[in-house]
Amino acid sequence: SSSPLKHPLLGIAPEDEKYYKTSSDWIKCKDGSKKFSKTQLNDDFCDCPDGTDEPGTSACPLGKFYCRNSGHTPLFLYSSRVNDGICDCCDGSDEYDGKVKCPNTCWEAGKVARDKLKKKIATYQEGVTLRKQDVEQAKLSLAKDEAELLKLKDEEKILKVLVEQLKERKDEIEKAEEKERLRKEKEEKERKEAEEKANQEKSKTEKEANQGTSEAEEKTNNEEKPIESMHVDDIGTLEDSSADQDVVTENDESEAEVEYSDDSGNEGSLVDGVEQHAAEAKEESAVIPETVHDSESKGSDASEKTEGLSKEELGRLVASRWTGENAEKQTEEVDAANDKDHGGHEEMHKATHDEEDDGYASETDDDNQRYEDEDMEDEVDEDFREEDHYDSGSYKSDSDAEPDLSDITTPSNPSWLEKIQKTVQNVLRAVNIFQTPVNQTEAASVRKEYDDSSAKLSKLQSRISSLSQKLKQDFGPDKEFYSFYDRCFESKQNKYVYKVCPYKQASQEESHTTTRLGRWDKFEDSYRVMMFSNGDKCWNGPDRSLKVRLRCGLKNEVADVDEPSRCEYVALLSTPALCLEEKLKELQHKLELMNKEQPQSHDEL
Amino acid sequence: WKKDEFRNCNQTPFCKRARSRKPAPSSLIATHVSLSDGELVAKITNRRDDQIKPLILSLSAYQDGILRLKIDEDPSSIPPPPKKRFEVPDVVVPEFASKKLWLQKLDTKTLDGDSSPSSIVYLNEEYDAVLRHEPFEIYVRDKSSGKRVISLNSHGLFDFEQLKHKKPKSDQEEEKHDHDQYQDDDQDHDQEQVKEEKDEDEDWAERFRSHTDSRPYGPQSISFDVSFYGADFVYGIPERATSFALKPTRGPGLEDHSEPYRLFNLDVFEYVHDAPFGLYGSIPFMISHGKSHGTSGFFWLNAAEMQIDVLTAGWDADSGISLPSDRSRIDTLWMSEAGIVDAFFFVGPKPKDVVRQYTSVTGTPAMPQLFATAYHQCRWNYRDEEDVENVDAKFDENNIPYDVLWLDIEHTDGKRYFTWDRAMFPHPEEMQNKLAAKGRHMVTIVDPHTKRDDGYFLHKEATQKGYYVKDANGNDFDGWCWPGSSSYPDTLNPEIRSWWADRFSYENYVGSTPSLYIWNDMNEPSVFNGPELTMPRDALHYGGVEHRELHNVYGYYFHMATADGLQKRGNGKDRPFVLSRAIFAGSQRHGAIWTGDNTAEWEHLRVSVPMILSLGLTGISFSGADVGGFFGNPEPELLVRWYQVGAFYPFFRAHAHHDTKRREPWLFGERNTELIRDAIHVRYMLLPYFYTLFREANTSGVPVVRPLWMEFPSEEATFNNDEAFMVGNSILVQGIYTERVKHASVYLPGKQSWYDLRTGTTYKGGMTHKLDISEDSIPAFQRAGTIIPRKDRFRRSSTQMVNDPYTLVIALNSSQAAEGELYVDDGKSFDFKNGAYIHRRFVFADGKLTSVNLAPTSPGNSRFSTSSVVERIILLGNASGPKRAHIESTNLNVDIELGPLWLQRGRGSGVVTIRKPGVRIADDWTIKIL
Repeated sequence: SSSPLKHPLLGIAPEDEKYYKTSSDWIKCKDGSKKFSKTQLNDDFCDCPDGTDEPGTSACPLGKFYCRNSGHTPLFLYSSRVNDGICDCCDGSDEYDGKVKCPNTCWEAGKVARDKLKKKIATYQEGVTLRKQDVEQAKLSLAKDEAELLKLKDEEKILKVLVEQLKERKDEIEKAEEKERLRKEKEEKERKEAEEKANQEKSKTEKEANQGTSEAEEKTNNEEKPIESMHVDDIGTLEDSSADQDVVTENDESEAEVEYSDDSGNEGSLVDGVEQHAAEAKEESAVIPETVHDSESKGSDASEKTEGLSKEELGRLVASRWTGENAEKQTEEVDAANDKDHGGHEEMHKATHDEEDDGYASETDDDNQRYEDEDMEDEVDEDFREEDHYDSGSYKSDSDAEPDLSDITTPSNPSWLEKIQKTVQNVLRAVNIFQTPVNQTEAASVRKEYDDSSAKLSKLQSRISSLSQKLKQDFGPDKEFYSFYDRCFESKQNKYVYKVCPYKQASQEESHTTTRLGRWDKFEDSYRVMMFSNGDKCWNGPDRSLKVRLRCGLKNEVADVDEPSRCEYVALLSTPALCLEEKLKELQHKLELMNKEQPQSHDEL
Repeated sequence: WKKDEFRNCNQTPFCKRARSRKPAPSSLIATHVSLSDGELVAKITNRRDDQIKPLILSLSAYQDGILRLKIDEDPSSIPPPPKKRFEVPDVVVPEFASKKLWLQKLDTKTLDGDSSPSSIVYLNEEYDAVLRHEPFEIYVRDKSSGKRVISLNSHGLFDFEQLKHKKPKSDQEEEKHDHDQYQDDDQDHDQEQVKEEKDEDEDWAERFRSHTDSRPYGPQSISFDVSFYGADFVYGIPERATSFALKPTRGPGLEDHSEPYRLFNLDVFEYVHDAPFGLYGSIPFMISHGKSHGTSGFFWLNAAEMQIDVLTAGWDADSGISLPSDRSRIDTLWMSEAGIVDAFFFVGPKPKDVVRQYTSVTGTPAMPQLFATAYHQCRWNYRDEEDVENVDAKFDENNIPYDVLWLDIEHTDGKRYFTWDRAMFPHPEEMQNKLAAKGRHMVTIVDPHTKRDDGYFLHKEATQKGYYVKDANGNDFDGWCWPGSSSYPDTLNPEIRSWWADRFSYENYVGSTPSLYIWNDMNEPSVFNGPELTMPRDALHYGGVEHRELHNVYGYYFHMATADGLQKRGNGKDRPFVLSRAIFAGSQRHGAIWTGDNTAEWEHLRVSVPMILSLGLTGISFSGADVGGFFGNPEPELLVRWYQVGAFYPFFRAHAHHDTKRREPWLFGERNTELIRDAIHVRYMLLPYFYTLFREANTSGVPVVRPLWMEFPSEEATFNNDEAFMVGNSILVQGIYTERVKHASVYLPGKQSWYDLRTGTTYKGGMTHKLDISEDSIPAFQRAGTIIPRKDRFRRSSTQMVNDPYTLVIALNSSQAAEGELYVDDGKSFDFKNGAYIHRRFVFADGKLTSVNLAPTSPGNSRFSTSSVVERIILLGNASGPKRAHIESTNLNVDIELGPLWLQRGRGSGVVTIRKPGVRIADDWTIKIL
């Protein structure tokens, strides 16, 4: 039913009025498709597909209705809201057919909105200043990082040469030793045996060469060739570094927990290992009938197995097909069986519902990193007791996620390299390789010096690589997110602690269980969203992911972590980095407009 | 789907036995034939074995061509049967009794070609029923031609195992010998097999997997053959996911004999998209259709497990039986574990006749509230009040209408129905009221499994009152479902139903408001640790009825009690809305049903159409499949296609499993949001048409969504088409069931042409068209000669559309004529039963459109009216290019111009549009095209 309009220009924004106030009797549809007569304007019949002719009625599905809302903010409504019996405009102008009475609430609502806006502006004002400081700081720090990287690269060059020299010398010594040993053996054993020895020697040399380069990637190597490296240690340098012993324990640990396949590298290997582990667990639980929903389970043995179950077990089992909950209980049992050493896991599994096997895996991951870090710190303590590079006081540095390599080199103390250079020269000079038999003390000192230097080299390289890694990151147009690197933000919600580490990963922790919600992916939506993806797999669901929405705030704080869709998390992070000056101006402008509207009467229409 | 978890026919003794029998002339004879109480009664005896107790038979006729046959044990026999067999109560509507024809005289004579007499029963002017005495056979025939329509026991497979007292072990041996009483002697070979089977002591107990069925009365199954004459295809007997025209299950020419069609209500996890296996509901009603006879139907009112074979021609070749028909015939074998024979023969002969005949027995579909016919948004689970608020707000933000938001099991406090998880839903009333303020409704789930928790009021009360189903030992049955250990109210008992209904009062259901409606899930019943995930067959119900006897109707009573509850709650003024998963014949009276836990796969989208067609044909008009597919994550394209088809389902609801990604319409990018919005808009636009169809179903049983052959009964090309369907008599829809489709072949039946629903483009009828397909829409057409009422303004929900103006779309046929109907009422109350409605017929002929009243005008009835007007009349296929229209009542002329057929897709090319005729929809008027 149509009711007479109070005003022929109802629903038209003031800036648009001139479009309709033409001298001609005809008005064009804005999409150019047609024209309509002035009497057809707001006559409750849709002539223009785009709704040009019906700004004030519900006749056109694509139309927009403008409400002035004096005292508050003007609003465009879908035309479907006009005369639908629901008050949408605070000035009530959208309901004029007399079926409902809409009181004008713009004044009150406007006041609330203005106050809110004022508060927001205040936050922005302060935030903009903070952001400026951060940006300045970030620029300085970045320059420092870049300078350091250059320097490190120079040092690396020098150290490489030294290590090379030492290696040559070491090889010569070993060759000489070998020669002597061979000669001795020749006297005692047959030639065949001697040849065997020679081969062995050859392979050993190769291994050591490998060791030299690969220490830079300790973790990788350790995981890749645990047995072999132990073997080398046995034959070779007995007086090995503590690092290598740690390697052994670490390997024990990881083998106990996760059966790594050894064909994957670096970080990837962790993930693959975890997935494989999860897959194995699944396979095993699939053998137990009806745990994982498997449409092609084999008839006879499935029925045999369920017959052994109690009524309650059977009920739970069947329920789990829909919920997935119980199937994980099965997985948990498999885990527990695989992993008798980890008494704590059992309890942890019970505590969570869906995340057990994933959470378990990521804890393994963390453990590994922690070992590595401790290892690193030990060494650092021995050699370099220098001041921290980073001003970690103001930041919450996340030592778990990334080894802190800052102490390996320190720009403030350039002499360490010279010291090494000198020592090496001394050592090299001292050893007389032509002496037979080789002087054992001298040989040992060459070996030690070689080991020390190459360890240092690998640390140096590791530092270079982590620094380059960092500098590769996208810190935003003004580098305003620089300070997020090496930081984590935590939020506690109920029993969970959510940990968001930009550029690295995000996780959900509950007592001893850590579930990875995602690995750092990228910024989205013009740096208003941080994406973490490819987190731990969900049972019967997607890989977990976390979307962190950023908003202007005075502190870096995570709040409102939510899981709107299964295993797809969202969180809110307030940070000064989002307090943009343009936005502040926009808000101020908006407030000005609102203030301008204030004194006017709202009954004008 | 876990095949081994469910019994196949071979693991089901009664099915295996019945299936192994061979067709042969029956050894049964009808004796003592006489008239009593206006019906024919007789005894059935075995002429080869007078030790077997006779059965009693009755045949009665009802108005409109319905024959009812009952066969049961004789309570006066000596010794009497150990107990009365279960006759399903409350399914046949009380009004049906009044349609009984009182037979006056018995007409017994020997018919041509027979050697023994037959008794003939009058059905209507054209058909009668024949009871042949020896061998025993019953059939319905065309009086004038003598041609058969449907027959029973023409192949001699009738068998009826009578109840026995359980005897001490030693006596059981003897018992076995006189057991197979109604089998024919010449089936020696098979009989041997059957005997062998029985030696395994299976008379008294039956094992399946870890479950034992104590079977205290021995085997009690019934089986018989039914033949449909002049039949090209048979349909019906839902619920299962398979083709609409039922494929044969057995007989020559089939490479693999399949399982019979099973009717046994089960909660089937991840059901497959093409299987004879029965799902959540059972309607033992089969319809045959063919070119030579037309349509006929057979309904067996029996709630025990049933298995039905559809046999290929020649399966009876060795039997020596030749049935007197040169027409195509389809033979079927019906087997049930228990109960009695209470069978109905429907003569048709038109498809709509059979549906009308069937629904005169089991009732026509309830008239839904208007909101229930609109779009429903569901997910397992909308987690908390904030979630609800956000989803609701997003619909508005995206300008997508919806009417109902659903809460699945997680909204409760630990799966205790009628409670709220107060951490997630601290303010349920406020939440519902907020939605109600926008004209929206909510639905919460209430399942039959009741948590066995002494602190739970419902459990306490049900236990105290003894209202639970009992196990074989007489204790409250304890099974496992969502809440863990659970018991199940015995809603077979009217007293318990009444108590259950009272649970829904606002007082008892704390946190419920008048805008809250109900969803019954898991009412097969689903029992996770029971045999085949349901209740043991030897569980006991009210009156000592074994669960085996009523299994298929358990969910029906629960649904019924819930619907009664909502009606009681509103003091009988508010039409209930209850969605149920389990169904039985007659469920259409209690509410809507959906096809259960389907999967987000193209094939599941495809099979949703035959599933809905089968349900509609068997009375369940208000049905739909979960849009998007319950399990799994649909690709956006599949989701969009599903919305496009789903917009035409009678029940239109999106739903998803809790492990799936969120899939509300706006989550797949702007383009897909637009496409989904469009699909939902189509539904809202057509709501006046849909509502009119719901009323048609309510009065005639003719379903909202129909197979093409229901509208075009003589077009053979449509008989096994289950990719396309009719919405009412005016719209043909063809789904798109494969991805990235560029073209589709669509058969458009009839002599008249069809108009594309969106563009108005004309297509010839009676041929297959190869159409270009875009992502915008699926093929949909308006049939020439029809008028469709629409409302083209999109609101937040159907509630705000009530006063909106109408658009009438007139699709002219070759004689420039068309007609259509519109039904309108208050959309909520039962006042329409007292005449408070508008029912118009629009007729366009001779250049004039006339609106005439179809509603009764007798005084004293309550009235309904509306001020809604017609804002636009569109003429498709108009040849003359008119410029003006004259409104006779007001003597005014209005403009005719070229306008878009669809406003929101208003692209250039125009259709003839009468602009603002302004006539009231409730009035009589005539508009003349000038």
